[in-house]
Amino acid sequence: MSQLNVVGQSLERPDAYDKVTGGKGYPVNVKLPGMLHAKMLRSPYAHARIVSIDASRAERLPGVKAVLLPKDVPQIKFCPVFFVPVQAPSMVLDFDVMNGERVRYVGQPVAAVAAITADIAEAAIDLIDVEYEELPAVFTPEEAMAEGAPQLHDEAPNNIAKTPFFEYGDLEKGFAEADFIFEGTYETQRVHTCYLEPRVCVVDMDRQDNVTIHVTTQHLFGTREKLAFALGIPETKVKVVKSPYIGGGFGGKLELTAMEPVAALLSKKCGRPVRLEQTRQEDFITTTRNPIKVYLKTGVKKDGTFTARYAKSILDCGAHATHGSEVIMVHGAFGLFFNYHAPHQKWEGYTVYTNNMIGGGYRGYGAPQGSFAVESQIDEICTKLNLDPIAMRLQNARKQGEPHPFNPAFTLATYGLADCLREGAAKIGWEKARRRDKGSSGAKKRGIGLAVHPVWVSGCMGFPDIYEHSGAIVKINRDGTADLATASMDIGSGQIATLTQIAAEALGLPAGAVRMSSAGDTDNLPFDAPTHASRVTYSSGNAVKEAALSAKKRLLEVAGSMLEVSPADLEVSDGKVSVRGTPSKTLSVAEIAQRAESPFVQMTAQGPQPTVMEEKGTIIGLSSLAPKSNPTPCAAQFVEVEVDTETGEVAVLHAVYAHDIGRAINPKAAEGQVEGGFQQGMGYALMEHIQFDPETGSCLTTDFLDYKMPTAVEMPRKIDSIFIETDEPTGPFGAKSLGECCVITPAPAIANAIHDAIGVRFTQLPITPEKILRGLGKI
Amino acid sequence: MALYKLKEFHAPKNMQEAINILGKSQEAEILVLAGGTFLHGLEARGLLSDVEELVDIRKAGLDAIRDDDRGLLIGATVTFSQIQTLPSVQRTPWLAGLSDALAYPPVQIRNTATIGGCVSASCPFFDVPTALLALGATVMVKGGEAGERQLALPDFLAGLFVNSLEPGELVTAVAIPKCPGNGASAFIKLEGNANDLAIVNAAAYLSVDSQKTCTEAYVALGGGVAETAVLSDAARQILIGSKLDAATLQTASEAVTADISPMSDHRASAEYRGAVAKVIVRRTLERAIARLA
Ligand SMILES: Cc1cc2nc3c(=O)[nH]c(=O)nc-3n(C[C@H](O)[C@H](O)[C@H](O)COP(=O)(O)OP(=O)(O)OC[C@H]3O[C@@H](n4cnc5c(N)ncnc54)[C@H](O)[C@@H]3O)c2cc1C
Repeated sequence: MSQLNVVGQSLERPDAYDKVTGGKGYPVNVKLPGMLHAKMLRSPYAHARIVSIDASRAERLPGVKAVLLPKDVPQIKFCPVFFVPVQAPSMVLDFDVMNGERVRYVGQPVAAVAAITADIAEAAIDLIDVEYEELPAVFTPEEAMAEGAPQLHDEAPNNIAKTPFFEYGDLEKGFAEADFIFEGTYETQRVHTCYLEPRVCVVDMDRQDNVTIHVTTQHLFGTREKLAFALGIPETKVKVVKSPYIGGGFGGKLELTAMEPVAALLSKKCGRPVRLEQTRQEDFITTTRNPIKVYLKTGVKKDGTFTARYAKSILDCGAHATHGSEVIMVHGAFGLFFNYHAPHQKWEGYTVYTNNMIGGGYRGYGAPQGSFAVESQIDEICTKLNLDPIAMRLQNARKQGEPHPFNPAFTLATYGLADCLREGAAKIGWEKARRRDKGSSGAKKRGIGLAVHPVWVSGCMGFPDIYEHSGAIVKINRDGTADLATASMDIGSGQIATLTQIAAEALGLPAGAVRMSSAGDTDNLPFDAPTHASRVTYSSGNAVKEAALSAKKRLLEVAGSMLEVSPADLEVSDGKVSVRGTPSKTLSVAEIAQRAESPFVQMTAQGPQPTVMEEKGTIIGLSSLAPKSNPTPCAAQFVEVEVDTETGEVAVLHAVYAHDIGRAINPKAAEGQVEGGFQQGMGYALMEHIQFDPETGSCLTTDFLDYKMPTAVEMPRKIDSIFIETDEPTGPFGAKSLGECCVITPAPAIANAIHDAIGVRFTQLPITPEKILRGLGKI
Repeated sequence: MALYKLKEFHAPKNMQEAINILGKSQEAEILVLAGGTFLHGLEARGLLSDVEELVDIRKAGLDAIRDDDRGLLIGATVTFSQIQTLPSVQRTPWLAGLSDALAYPPVQIRNTATIGGCVSASCPFFDVPTALLALGATVMVKGGEAGERQLALPDFLAGLFVNSLEPGELVTAVAIPKCPGNGASAFIKLEGNANDLAIVNAAAYLSVDSQKTCTEAYVALGGGVAETAVLSDAARQILIGSKLDAATLQTASEAVTADISPMSDHRASAEYRGAVAKVIVRRTLERAIARLA
């Protein structure tokens, strides 16, 4: 790798100043003239038939401009997930915006109102009289699959929305070859991503069905496709405006919900823009990470080699399958089976309907649920067989140079798991900590644990039905700076910083000379797949690099003409183009761009003079391409915990992450990703849990008092991030990705550390103080 | 949800005016507004949609503080932050438990939450009332038919979110009597994260004579161990006259079981609350003892 100038620098994020001074780029701050405010009425019942709706009282409330009822909404079924085609055959097509006949979970929208203020809209929805006929409801997937359970969707007997499976080798033979067999059931809970900016949209839909929407989304083009479909209008009637950034997503803004089409239809009715902002309470019941119960059985030789693995996973997708059809696949493949070799494997997955809230995307996308099972069980095996947890993992793990597990056309060109384990262990002092006294006298016991996880994608190249390509436009300005435009959304994780640094590096411009265009929409930007699946740095990054290189090619052509040398003899660095070997022959990028942009015929003292035609035209580069491969970032995570054996409280004292991410484009931003990932993973491990009333199915944890997530106070005082730069050959300047590894490992690492501290194994998340005391036999 | 039915927002300039307003509006849905931190929570949960009048008492002259040898008399609208700045709260072992409790709410809340609001809410999950119980606090009340009353805090806290105020009555101050002898107090909260109401909390006040024999003991618990924060008489009986050795602390902590009836909710089960209550009480007693001169 040649010398890097901009990539690898911890530059200040370009969006930082704007965000700390009010964040005018957030969709929540968009205001349009004449804008109305909407609220949705939601079902109080988990399962009911809608007998009648009478909105006349609401319509009469002063300030109300329109009421939207199911009859006003196209009754179309589709898959609202952004990263697949709207009628993707691999997905379940069961979602509708506002069902007029039946509600299947508490919180399902049944009507909506637009009014001159949000308060009036809220008062008005209370005046809508809905008569329901309650139906029996079912809240656990096991009960939902049982004989005689209420059936949620006609097309899904026994409430099973999807049953993927795979098998290879001969499972029975594999178990017969094992010296030991380990079995366990591992359960994970419903959690919310807790993005800071609520889901919100401002929509203008005119009588000709032209729609313009500003919205908190992780995908502009997915929003366009699904919203158009839901409204029953051609896709290009919808223009989705790119907000400079949104206030967090984490996978929680990766599908169309009722909000966008409802606001659009209200806007059309009123002839005015309509804003719909969800409350935190509504957000909590809009999307969630799917809870999955995993039964896992593993056969091992005495030395720790896997002979066979079998797993059965039951995913509760709630009232509609949406992401649940894909999460189950990622869970089975990435979460459970790809990480380690075993000659004989079998997996069965079940995505099951219940009368719970609908599931969604969340960082890790099925892998955290799998990893909790796998990485916990490996520790159980190590304890029982007295094996070293690091050696045991390395022994069974895939290795650099092996074929990629799901697409043998790719190889694991870079896969630094062994280095991650080595460096992480050294940093936390693994050997010493494992051997030390746990503090047997006091109430507080310390323990140490680890977990590893690769994410088998930097993007999703090679998956059925998943959008992958990215595009970018790079334009060089007369002042020597460049503008970058992409449809890739910055969802808070530093996409603007990363992509502009890649562009600057590729162009040979100094740090800060590339600006992310703040204006753009689906009409004028090239398609980009969503900001999801650990893909932006790698996939969008490659597209940005390509567009920058194409702009650079043109830059050198113009410079070559100006300097009367071949472009091949030129190089660009720090905003200057010079002739290789003759540093005196130099032009600034600004001079070249000015020449390119200047009039062909120029007035001189001698009168009008033509200049060189070949030098004219904006220096611009375009790209639109699918990524070349699917390189695999991986992480080893170590944590030290302290368990209060009298109260059950767990404090995480220290976390160490070692990540192979290929290359850290902006190390500080990368650290931020890792620390944020730990916070979410730690919340998953210890406290976060969307809970419902078991009788009525209504949500009990609708604010941050009842929904517990780690605050700055609970976070470990020390988080060490180690980046192992393996220089991925297909990545932009060697980069792979980082988004998800860091959120997958904390739960099993913490569970393993708790086991190390107190000798009790917990297999149900979250591991609350109460569960700890029960585990210790104290209650 | 908004205050749809709100018709009047009163901002009385003195206590009498406030009492007059409350007295006139007995039938209406009227609420006193102090720091608003609790009311805001109710409003956000849609529980105030019937309220027609609010009486903002922050300018009603109820913010005096008297700190002398009779003890502390804190006006109803004095904020937590203001209490934290009092020398006796900052420096004396006697009020150290109150200081412990005041440190838990986030600073934004401390800057606006009032002592009158915190007792009037009668919320068993708050911290400051538990600390006040262990210090033998009294609530000063004016207005209504009685005109003026003083209620010991245990009598004032009538039930879950219910206080003993009669229509037209207003809390004007909270009094903490000067501790007899050499006392020290402490408070500990068990919480799910730093942004939490107590799962269990405990406060203790202890004093000893020159022989290190315990002469006075108050043990209070809150956080869902009962419908209101409560005093444990069982623990008090065991502690008074004892040498406050480890075995006595253990017995006293276990005795609190007799005085509590913990609740189960989605945050913790009654069993868990009952089990950790003993632990937290013991640790609180240990902390108070460490502060004894
Ligand atoms: C984010 C957050 C964190 C918190 N953390 C903690 C914590 O860690 N520990 C803790 O102890 N507490 C905590 N609290 C609770 C806080 O202490 C109480 O909300 C506060 O003390 C209430 O006082 P206020 O002045 O804001 O009351 P208000 O909300 O104004 O009123 C509370 C109630 O009392 C009534 N009222 C108020 N004043 C009077 C009066 N003088 N006479 C009669 N009735 C009156 C009101 O009508 C209302 O019913 C927290 C609250 C929030 C919102």
